[in-house]
Amino acid sequence: MSLFLQRTFDSLANGSAYAALAVAISMVFRSTGVLNLAQGQLAMFSTYIALVFATGPSPYLKFSSNTDVLGAAWPIWAAILGAIVISMVIGAFTERVIIRPISADPVAAIGATLGLYLLLGAFVRKQWGGRTMFLGSPFPQTVDDRWDIGGARLWHDTVGITLTMIGVLGLLAVLQRRTKVGLAFRAVTSNRTASLMVGIRVSRVLMLGWALAAGIGALAGGLIAGEINVRPDMMGRLLIFGLAAATLGGLKSPVLAFVGGYLFAFLETMLGGYVSFIDSQVTLVWALLVLIIVLFVRPSGLLPRSEAWQQR
Amino acid sequence: MTTRNPSTSTPLRIVWVVISLAFVVLSVRVAFGATPKIVTDFSNSIALSLAFGGLVLLTHYLGLLSLGQGALVGVGAYAALHAVNDFGVPVVWMPLAGLLAGTLVGAIVAIPSLRLPKAYLALLTLSLAVAYPIILKQVDGNLPVLLHGEFVAPSWTGIAENDEHIWELFLVTIYASAALFLVQGLLRGPIGRAFIASRDEPEAARAFGVPVYRLRLYGVALSGGMAGLAGGLLMIPTGFNDFTHYPEELSIKMFALAMAFGGSRLISSVPAALILIFLPVWLIDRNWVVEYGWVGLFKSEGFIYAALLLATAYLTRGKGFMHLSERRKRRNIEKSVTANRGASLVADQLMALENRLNQIEGFVGEPPDISSRQEPTD
Repeated sequence: MSLFLQRTFDSLANGSAYAALAVAISMVFRSTGVLNLAQGQLAMFSTYIALVFATGPSPYLKFSSNTDVLGAAWPIWAAILGAIVISMVIGAFTERVIIRPISADPVAAIGATLGLYLLLGAFVRKQWGGRTMFLGSPFPQTVDDRWDIGGARLWHDTVGITLTMIGVLGLLAVLQRRTKVGLAFRAVTSNRTASLMVGIRVSRVLMLGWALAAGIGALAGGLIAGEINVRPDMMGRLLIFGLAAATLGGLKSPVLAFVGGYLFAFLETMLGGYVSFIDSQVTLVWALLVLIIVLFVRPSGLLPRSEAWQQR
Repeated sequence: MTTRNPSTSTPLRIVWVVISLAFVVLSVRVAFGATPKIVTDFSNSIALSLAFGGLVLLTHYLGLLSLGQGALVGVGAYAALHAVNDFGVPVVWMPLAGLLAGTLVGAIVAIPSLRLPKAYLALLTLSLAVAYPIILKQVDGNLPVLLHGEFVAPSWTGIAENDEHIWELFLVTIYASAALFLVQGLLRGPIGRAFIASRDEPEAARAFGVPVYRLRLYGVALSGGMAGLAGGLLMIPTGFNDFTHYPEELSIKMFALAMAFGGSRLISSVPAALILIFLPVWLIDRNWVVEYGWVGLFKSEGFIYAALLLATAYLTRGKGFMHLSERRKRRNIEKSVTANRGASLVADQLMALENRLNQIEGFVGEPPDISSRQEPTD
């Protein structure tokens, strides 16, 4: 029982990252109908920005070899917040400059997000190389920073990451339900033409949606970097789980995508832990298999069938 | 739908025959004149052109997105290699095992995802692209698996025993040409038109009795089969399989090139395959690579592919650069048809006017025939 509990606790940190990426993907898909394949790379890029802020003047992390534009090292929280702000600007810029002119054509839009995927990967490799770097966690991470519950260890770091993600996504839900901006966002996702007719600035709302999605991705990257370290390919695996989790929500429901994120992380940990022939690498394959089976049995994911068929 | 212009079809065919002959001449010249390394690269390009053909079929005929074509090539390579090593299939027939495996995996991915919006196919195929190297590593291990078979040229070819790369090139070319020819023939017929109808107007196509879901399923399976065949053919010059051959970057690069070079003809997949194989060779020859990636903003392979994808998305709305020339050609045909229609209309009206004038002239110029009105008298 304690082993089961331990594995459940272990799945929480990864689940937070998957859930955050899944929510970001769902938000963008819901509002613009574009599957943003660059979501993971945007998160990876923002993690490098956080790393630059957190490291300060360092010979291998400078933006420019001539000037030191960043000054002293920032605390990790401040570095992650700085990266979130920059990511939100990049997200808004991406929507305005890259996606909006071609948003009418889904093939072109997916192609453009894939172009962005390659561009960010190539830029990071060129700027910072392919080696693994360490950002650290904004939460206490020593051996003693834990609670012992039922024979299992629950790390403060894990609780911090999980509560932060739940808090941020709760704030997002409040933003959507209780504010005028949220109302406008819901109107645009529901019916864009009608929103235009009642005077909502649709383009601005969409830009905000992309910015928020990029910000959530940046937060996920910054928080999970303490667990998985920083590498150009750090988000590949997370993106796949994020996409799978978003699929459980029919790509349109951030709440179900959020649940899906934790569900996949739980499944991943349990399969890797209890099935002898599945190691940590192969869990990705089993998650893919589960995804295919779910799509076979219930194509709408966890969404009600009627809503899913409306998407076709 | 494309309009066939009878007046231009014969010269066009002649041009295509000339291009094909030039390609055959080039192949023979490369086979006998180039170094074994270049011949092998050329064989790989020709094999991969089939996989690109499958992608062109998906993106440009069906309007679907596959981001896992590289993984399907890997599936074909795995099946072909193990068909020889484990089941004793003759090496000449092993690409057919790849064809079968690719078709099967393509169908398995397509069945659930095609029931949902198009983004799901992109999502599942991308997942396949990420998962495949992991699966292959798990199944085949870390070390490359060698093919237990050799390609010895028959004596009647006159190819020396140590020049097996030439015979391999010919085998790959024969397989790939036959497959491309068959699929292009299929696409020129009613199936190709149904593909395009299901892409452009799925609702209307359904109303006319086209089974859109089933058609898309066949399309994805066919595309997977072509990728699998390409994987089987890759085993001919390569002779071994390794999980590092099929990273997800391969699938993404293939998608970028298929988007950029695709068009209504499968032959447009050949330049894409040549670029995929020879671009890194060209970059490495110029020392434009370092340990941790590529040097320079425009010399990097990643930047080149990103620029290609973004340019294709912006300039052609994802339809590919071949589409621009095809659209211009179509517009010219439409213009000439419209102009002819206008001219014939004017001519008809002129004829009618002339008849009317003749009538009036006859009425005015000729004196009335009074005698005809007089009663005949005895």
